[in-house]
Amino acid sequence: MKRNGIFFWIGAAVFLIAIALMTKLITNEYPFFAGYVILQFIVLAVAWSILGGHAGYVNFGTSAFFGMGVYTAVFLFKVAGAPLLVQIAAAAAVGALMGFALGLLTLRMQGIFFSIATIALTIVIETSITNWRYVGGAAGIQLQRPPVTWPFSGYVQMLFFVQAVLVVLAVVVSRYIQNSWIGRGLQALRDDELAAECTGVPTLRLKVLACVVSGALMCAAGAPAAMYLQYADPSSAFNLNYSVSTLAMSLIGGTAHWAGPIVGAILLGTTQQLLTVTISSEVNVLVLGVMLVLFVVAAPEGLIGLLRRVRDKRKEGKQ
Amino acid sequence: MKRRTLLGATISAAVLGLTFGLTSAATAQQPPIKIGMSMAQTGGLAGGGKASQLGIEIWRDDVNARGGLLGRKVELVVYDDKSSASETPAIYSKLLDVDKVDILFAPYATVPTAPLMPLVKQRGMLLMGNFSFQVNSKVGHDMWFNNAPWGPADSWAASFLELGQKAGGKTIALLAADQEFAQNLALTARDVAKKMNMQIVFDQAYPPNTVEFSSILRALKAAKPDIVYVASYPPDSAGILRAVNEIGIGNNVKIFGGGMVGLQFGAVMENLGSLLNGVVNYNTWLPEPSMQNEGTKAFFETYTKRAIEAKVDPLGYYLAPFGYASGQMIEQAIKAVGSLDQKALAKYLRENEHKTIVGPIAFAADGERKESATLQAQFRGVVDKNMDQFRKPGTQVILFPAKMKSGDLISPFEAARK
Repeated sequence: MKRNGIFFWIGAAVFLIAIALMTKLITNEYPFFAGYVILQFIVLAVAWSILGGHAGYVNFGTSAFFGMGVYTAVFLFKVAGAPLLVQIAAAAAVGALMGFALGLLTLRMQGIFFSIATIALTIVIETSITNWRYVGGAAGIQLQRPPVTWPFSGYVQMLFFVQAVLVVLAVVVSRYIQNSWIGRGLQALRDDELAAECTGVPTLRLKVLACVVSGALMCAAGAPAAMYLQYADPSSAFNLNYSVSTLAMSLIGGTAHWAGPIVGAILLGTTQQLLTVTISSEVNVLVLGVMLVLFVVAAPEGLIGLLRRVRDKRKEGKQ
Repeated sequence: MKRRTLLGATISAAVLGLTFGLTSAATAQQPPIKIGMSMAQTGGLAGGGKASQLGIEIWRDDVNARGGLLGRKVELVVYDDKSSASETPAIYSKLLDVDKVDILFAPYATVPTAPLMPLVKQRGMLLMGNFSFQVNSKVGHDMWFNNAPWGPADSWAASFLELGQKAGGKTIALLAADQEFAQNLALTARDVAKKMNMQIVFDQAYPPNTVEFSSILRALKAAKPDIVYVASYPPDSAGILRAVNEIGIGNNVKIFGGGMVGLQFGAVMENLGSLLNGVVNYNTWLPEPSMQNEGTKAFFETYTKRAIEAKVDPLGYYLAPFGYASGQMIEQAIKAVGSLDQKALAKYLRENEHKTIVGPIAFAADGERKESATLQAQFRGVVDKNMDQFRKPGTQVILFPAKMKSGDLISPFEAARK
């Protein structure tokens, strides 16, 4: 366990150093544009699986949190020209609040009813933003990036690095939750909420906590998107695609381990980016669909689950 | 021995000649001029995107048949942006940094184009716009040229409201979808109404994907407006016209329509048939005699053939000829400048008037048309289930602009519907 911990921290540090070096060494901007999207999906998938994987509460409202992050950033930028870090921190706070409200919903709703409520949440928030003229309303709003901060050479490079930091943050939180009493409690309530409650697991507190953490991370992941696109409109910011992709990434990677969503997000995110610039027609939607079906049939517990099964079989063979 | 030497010499000479010939041919064959763009192949904008792309592809084939530009072939690099704003920055960065394209065309519509404006401004690239609405007003890029006939921001609403005012209208009802394009139109309509001293007696935004309009229309009818300005998207346009057909709109309405998206597409028009009669709506190109220019006929002959294969709008009036016109403009600019220098091309485009199949085009300082060429046309004598009627002049009579006018408004709306 301890050795694992050291490896994890070394891995995280190497990842961040590599990202920082990339921003210095690579002059071509395309890897940053494409890589940013993949990193953003890693944060979303990891955040989603805190509630969806550990607690088993399937959240279809990723786009609500993401869009709220975008619009928190838009609002703060318009009202006070707030810097990027303030935008992200504020988005995280807003996300935590939203998560808290969502957590209270879980008091009465479980299973599919909870999932439907999260879709409703997306629609309610999108409609409100659509009618809020100050942040552009239905017509959307164009933003002008402020000059880039030292030591970065371009704004996209900076956003890429910031999103990488968010990835590390999300993974650290997710890993901590999995390995601590919180994760064990969430697992217990996923298997049988009533039994968990009876054995003394504070189910409500844990559910609310999972919602708050997951919501804060999702919103934080959305905040830099405002400056990435330099444009925000409700139909893009609250696009259901974010919910569906995030869910698919977590499921393909596997929700039983914190690494699952990362693997899923890298695999699916990279495939999406590659398909966009290779096949680039209706066929790419089909390819993604087929991939999803294949994974659901061949690896119902995701890639991580598949790996575990292979490893277990090998162990059995040795014995 | 001698014979063998001779044979050897002949062969080597032939080989040498062949190699030399090949290399010289290779040097003569310069790399193509790459034009990069993203275009919606999937998602809500795909129908329009594909038609627009076909227009640009027909131009590419024509220009290559004429020998290309600057002695080089023209090649298009097109990626799917899924009708979304979040895809285009990465795609255009790939076009610029990896594919190293020479010229950029914008994707179809406002939303996918908006995030590109700061990027192209920063890179100093010329961008040929494709039917977006006022994306450059805040960015102020001096190398942006929109192929759409919109013109100044308020001219759209102004032309429709003026027609209504001439017909004796004093009060206005606004009905607009809660989406980007419709809200932009409604916003300008409010300003124009104020300027023209007309009273807005009904102002309603409805959520996207509304299908049932009878209650909204009853409320609208109760307000007794003279002019009904509708800014809607294809599914709602059909829903609104069906509701009008069922419950009527009242005898005091002089003019109805204005900004209904969808009534420009063949399939929607064929589907609605006689429900269209009397509606005055915006359009970009119509088969009226006043709209025929050099090359227009030939373009639509090719388009009609290729549209079947490409499975796009069989009429293709709305977007396709403007895609072709974008190509024509860049062709004229490159030929005049003699290079691909972005600044020089932009200067040429800004300072000259360009001949295209959709008529002469001149740009204002903001890259939009100097004068609005957005048509307002009234549907007349439309029958049900007949696509070919829309190919004939007289089905959509042009009321505005004056230069292209092909008839007068029939008013009130209820009389025009018959």
